Amino acid sequence: MLATQKLDSITGRGTDVEAFGRALREKGLSYLIVGPFAILLAFPFYVMVITAFKDQTEFYNPDITPYWFGKDSPTWHNASFLFHNTDYPKWLANTAIVGLCVVGITLVLALPAGYALARLAGRVGQGLGVGIFLTYLVPPTLLFIPFFWVINQVHLQNSIWSLVLVYPSFTVPFSTWLLMGFFKTIPQELEDAALVDGASRVKTLTRIIFPISIPGILTVVIFSFSLVVNEFVYAFTFISPSEHKMLSPGVYTDLIRGDLPEWGTIMVAALIPSIPLALLYNTFLDRFIAGFTGGAFR
Amino acid sequence: MSSSDDPARREGRYDRRELIRKAGAGAVSVGVAGSGLGQAFYGPLRFKGRWLKGDLSLITWVHFVPAFDTWFDKTWAVQWGQKNDVDVKIDHILNTLLTARSTAEVAAKSGHDIFFNLSPQAQFEDDVISHNEIVQEVQRKVGKIGRIAHKATYNPKTKKYFAFSDNYVPDPVIWRHDIWNAIGLSPNNWDNVRKAAPKLKAAGHPIGIGQSANDVDSNMALMSFLMCFGSFIQDQKHRVTIKSKRTVEALKFMADIYQRGETDEIFGWDPSGNNNFIYSGKGSMIFNAISATRTPEDRGLPFANDLWIWPIPKGPHGRMAYEHVMGCWWIWKFAKNKAAAKKFLADLEINYRDAFMASKFYNFPSFPGAMSFSRIRKAVASDKHRPLGKYGILTTIAQKYTTNPGHPGYANAAFGEMFNKSIIPKMFAEVSQKKMTPQEAVNAADRELKQIYAKWRKLKKI
Repeated sequence: MLATQKLDSITGRGTDVEAFGRALREKGLSYLIVGPFAILLAFPFYVMVITAFKDQTEFYNPDITPYWFGKDSPTWHNASFLFHNTDYPKWLANTAIVGLCVVGITLVLALPAGYALARLAGRVGQGLGVGIFLTYLVPPTLLFIPFFWVINQVHLQNSIWSLVLVYPSFTVPFSTWLLMGFFKTIPQELEDAALVDGASRVKTLTRIIFPISIPGILTVVIFSFSLVVNEFVYAFTFISPSEHKMLSPGVYTDLIRGDLPEWGTIMVAALIPSIPLALLYNTFLDRFIAGFTGGAFR
Repeated sequence: MSSSDDPARREGRYDRRELIRKAGAGAVSVGVAGSGLGQAFYGPLRFKGRWLKGDLSLITWVHFVPAFDTWFDKTWAVQWGQKNDVDVKIDHILNTLLTARSTAEVAAKSGHDIFFNLSPQAQFEDDVISHNEIVQEVQRKVGKIGRIAHKATYNPKTKKYFAFSDNYVPDPVIWRHDIWNAIGLSPNNWDNVRKAAPKLKAAGHPIGIGQSANDVDSNMALMSFLMCFGSFIQDQKHRVTIKSKRTVEALKFMADIYQRGETDEIFGWDPSGNNNFIYSGKGSMIFNAISATRTPEDRGLPFANDLWIWPIPKGPHGRMAYEHVMGCWWIWKFAKNKAAAKKFLADLEINYRDAFMASKFYNFPSFPGAMSFSRIRKAVASDKHRPLGKYGILTTIAQKYTTNPGHPGYANAAFGEMFNKSIIPKMFAEVSQKKMTPQEAVNAADRELKQIYAKWRKLKKI
């Protein structure tokens, strides 16, 4: 018994070792390949964090820049300057308002459009979907002047509502195309069963399709919001007063004085919105990937 | 211009503006501003009797001296607005974005009443009013417009001032006296610079004359360098004259300085590149306005007192440089309040002493009578940064060694397009990087310039 137990325990430990060795072989190679890329990609964020809390006299000291602090750091001065001497809180608020509105508009327009093109329009829908997506590829640098003319005609210049009007022009096409592919992965039989049971089309959509499509919808939400936060050309062109600016142009135009960028302040300004976005992506990473790749297999 | 100025479209933000609007015309006191006496002058003379109520919007750059923007926005504009019953709204953006913004406003025929840029934008001549009236008004008060500003903003063909210049910025060389001293040389002339270049680089302190297409400093520095060698973009009749032996010689000279005394980063700089180069303690010499010395002073960098300011080094043809930047305002034809815009600019220049002091000697008045060189010398002499009196050289540079873009001719739309396309920095970079021979690079630049000039000549702008 003891020998058997001993043998079992030895076997158990051996099994553990084998399992560990197997796991190491399987995953170790992945980590070996992915690790350096991860370090490379994370390094700018590391520099951003260090610079954000560094005293401004230390930016030009090559002995410590960009890797670590000097004797007068870390400091809250840059963050304090950003919040007390600039319109940064207003830029954050403007960006949040525009982001939420644009995400809402995008969902309202792209969800039914994506469904219609996926289910109801047949082969025409396929072509139409591609055509809608192609409008997304037209760069803002070509469109900002005609859009500026339009914004002036409707008297929305220097207002954040000009961006709420314009941003869906690129979030809706991409989201429609994305959702179109995603809806195609949902088995038609589910809808047919619901319709046979007496559900209307709208009820089928709201009770069956949309709940299943949460990954796709989340993808649209995250992607649209990211586009809004990162967009620069329209936000810069349509809005001049500092208090109405969005985050991207505000940081670039107000925190660089002539030939002097305020590095510490700029890094704090970039760090603050990065954190929630990073958390958002991280929390919904699986669903985000599912949303993007859902349409890839049809 | 902006929807926010119209009560029907405002979002209820501007109670104060409605009050001012309803306050009535009010009498405007006639003041006499002695030229150069620095007295405040807000009342109209030429504009007496005209109603000046309403709004005025303008856009300008974010001045590198924060105190200037604070003075301009919160003191000057507010006081002027109260005296003239005009609500002045000022927007600031980064200088590198001004051109894109102005292009958008012209295309939309809507935007700010007054626009600003750091160089004359002759290509907008047909979209702006004639500024002759403003120039005449200021000349009546403080004396003639300076030669530099006149030749930078006046089109002799159309007899129109297409912009109003309130200031220009002399362009010195900023160099580390301690580092140059260690090798026993100074940047008095270009031969010295070439001799010093390898020694400085070996000591870990290369020279930093940019050759970047993305950088106004590179543009100005290299065009000035050409002038020191007797090479000019255009002549007095605005014919392209870049193709010459002197240009080839200048290209070879600068290529040699790069290869033996500079580093590759100079090809990728933006306007802050050379500044950061000197602030890091690595650079031994750059071309820049005094923002490159003021920032180390403000930040307490250890070598701040070792940064000296000299005129551009002397070349075979002498010493001559363009101004570093020139403040140019213009009033769009679609501006809603042209009368107030004209008066605002006139009053600004007439009272330029305050602006000069607020800018920490950065902005030199385009009308010398607004603040005479003798008064400027007195003012800069009071600066306490070491070496004492180092800013005094700025007046010498402004008086003797600074000329207008386009020298010996006038600035014009073709010159402006050449500048915006960075043709000269590209020409130098091709040679320094051995992608072209000097003659090939000159030929290519000459072809490109001739096409540009032909286009604008056809449009009857030059």
